[in-house]
Amino acid sequence: MKKKLGFLFVFFSVLLILTACGGKEKNSTDATAKKADANGRVTLDFWSFWGSGARKDVIEAIIADFNQSQDKITVKYTYQPWGDIWTKSLSAITAGNPPDVIVQDINSVAQRAQAKQATALDKYIDKDTSKQFYPQLWETTLYEDKSYALPFNTDTQVIFYNKKLLKEVGVTEDNLPQTWEELEKVAHKLDQKKGNDYSRIGFYPLWNIGADVWALNADNGVSWFDRDGQVKIDTPNKVTALEWIEKWQKFYGRDTINRLEAEFGSGVSDPFISGTVAMRAQNINYYSSLMENAPDDFDFGVMQLPEKTKGSGHWSWGGGFVLEIPYGAKHAKESYEFMKYLTSEKVQEKFGEKSFDIMANKTANENLVKNKNLSEKGQMVYKMADDNFPNTVITPVPLTAPDYNSLVNEQLDQALMGSKSPEAALQAAQKAVTDLVKQNKTK
Amino acid sequence: MKASKLTMRKKKEMLWGYFFIAPFLLGFIVFMLGPMLFSLIGSFTDYNLTSKMNFVGLANFKRMFFQDQLFWKSLYNTAYFVLFNVPLTTAFSIFLAVILNQKLRGISFFRTIFFLPAVLSGVAVYILWMQLLSPSAGLINTVLSWFQIKGPAWLFDPAWTKPALILMKIWGSGGAMLLYLATLQNISPALYESAEIDGAGTWQRFKNITLPLITPIIFYDVITSTIGSFQIFQEAYVMTKNGTGGPSNSLLFYNLHMWNKAFVAFDMGYAMAMSMILFFIVMILTFINLKLAPRWVYYAGGEQK
Repeated sequence: MKKKLGFLFVFFSVLLILTACGGKEKNSTDATAKKADANGRVTLDFWSFWGSGARKDVIEAIIADFNQSQDKITVKYTYQPWGDIWTKSLSAITAGNPPDVIVQDINSVAQRAQAKQATALDKYIDKDTSKQFYPQLWETTLYEDKSYALPFNTDTQVIFYNKKLLKEVGVTEDNLPQTWEELEKVAHKLDQKKGNDYSRIGFYPLWNIGADVWALNADNGVSWFDRDGQVKIDTPNKVTALEWIEKWQKFYGRDTINRLEAEFGSGVSDPFISGTVAMRAQNINYYSSLMENAPDDFDFGVMQLPEKTKGSGHWSWGGGFVLEIPYGAKHAKESYEFMKYLTSEKVQEKFGEKSFDIMANKTANENLVKNKNLSEKGQMVYKMADDNFPNTVITPVPLTAPDYNSLVNEQLDQALMGSKSPEAALQAAQKAVTDLVKQNKTK
Repeated sequence: MKASKLTMRKKKEMLWGYFFIAPFLLGFIVFMLGPMLFSLIGSFTDYNLTSKMNFVGLANFKRMFFQDQLFWKSLYNTAYFVLFNVPLTTAFSIFLAVILNQKLRGISFFRTIFFLPAVLSGVAVYILWMQLLSPSAGLINTVLSWFQIKGPAWLFDPAWTKPALILMKIWGSGGAMLLYLATLQNISPALYESAEIDGAGTWQRFKNITLPLITPIIFYDVITSTIGSFQIFQEAYVMTKNGTGGPSNSLLFYNLHMWNKAFVAFDMGYAMAMSMILFFIVMILTFINLKLAPRWVYYAGGEQK
């Protein structure tokens, strides 16, 4: 009896384990079957976070085109939500069963390359590939002289202005403000008060770009780290930038700013469209929101961020996304083939035309400036993007301190809330980040 | 002869017992103990998930205690949250349970209303609260302004972000309320009746009958909510922009910092070391709780002692 029971126990446990493992085995055979079907076509799993709207439609159309254009590769599109996609792919890489191509953040390519999360592309890339992209985008893909990704799309920060309102104060396309000082003058001409409250704000620098962009704009395009990875937080120019923002804050008063921010934040109406704000610094992608929400007769223009002083440069900041082959993906050659297709001129132009994204392929953007399917405004936006790009800095995370952001932001918050002077805040941030770099180096 | 038969039967029963808990045991070993042991080992390495796992001794712990200022900040934020959240939510759920234990018409309607927040899940609730807490247009500050009180900027003011979160947690204490309510309904009315005959007032009845009889549940609630509060993550992750830690890092909780180390810096070894420290903190607190329990927890059966 005892024996019988013992046997039963073992039998059931084994059964349990077997069914658990069996499931896994079945999955993995499924996966290989999926990747090369009967006609010898390789199936690629492509992950992105474009799950709705114009981007989803156009990427699906592009994939369908690609699948029809040749008979070796079939691309299967998988949508992964924005909040999950990269952690999911990280677990998939760790488990050895990653997607074949994935849309990744442009700022951390080298970090992933270093941690062996991405496949080096040097075997597949030909010499001319790099030339089709804006140079600063291409640079982000390099780690130890090898490229690990192809840039896909990007953006840049510009100022949108209300043409009608600016015209009323005598500013037209020919005499747009070029420096911080000129911007202040124009802005304050545009201010309007009703009683004691502002009913219109000419310009406020933190609507809607961060203090970090102004710091970089002031400091000759040098972000928190310079090109050699040195910490450049506490610099005279960056202190000036924060002081300049503080000056705007004092001018309009923190109460006014908080009140309006809360109003904007509720999302009921866009302050720029309603005319409450005459000039708004923003990611150039804001254009697509204007297209959707602004009335047809709303007339706006775009201009570069002003220079701190004449000649200091209209420095701006951008980000973007790249295409990557996760480490351990089985069909790197075919994956690269698909990536090459996605970054080719025609495909990039098509994606830009539908999504209004600034594309990584330079020629595609130049073509978009003349693209007949775009409105006059759309062409203007692409022209601005192309003009602004030589001044646009991309800020990849430094390998020595990939998570430095929370340290800097803590100090920036304190400076902007007035609990610390800009100088003291940047000093503290400089020290904290230098510390973090040291921790990571001795590790 | 008889004795050996008994042990055989006992063994048989034991075997069956193990058989029945086997699913849990297997699950526990594979999904809990395994990862925990792996974390323990990983905490002494520079593991980064994909390319390296070298033994680094106590370097992660040294760095944590002596170099990483955000570690202390996150620990402070978490301790602050636990210290206020646990007593306040416990007190509030007892309060609610006592009120909702009345025999009134339509009481089940109110019970449902107060229990609802516990059923509503995660992100939707946080988004709702972000709107309620909006400084000038939010409902909370609007109500405060009726009483001529100028409400704080809540989630935008570092001094008020944590209180805002605690407020939200108190609102959601319906789950524990249900436990208390169930216990309250088990208390024999005879006790109250005799107390009333002896001339005890409402407060005395609460203090001398209700409270002692629900201490086992309070004990349970305090332990689980302490552990839960130490693990706060989601709220801060959703209510600050993707884990940025809120204004001047005032919502950078322990687990959020750990998450950033693991998935932003790929410093998994360090994150594992952090998780070990949290494990010890929670274990020690629970141990203290268990040791203190006999002094105040009253088991009506009397045999558990």
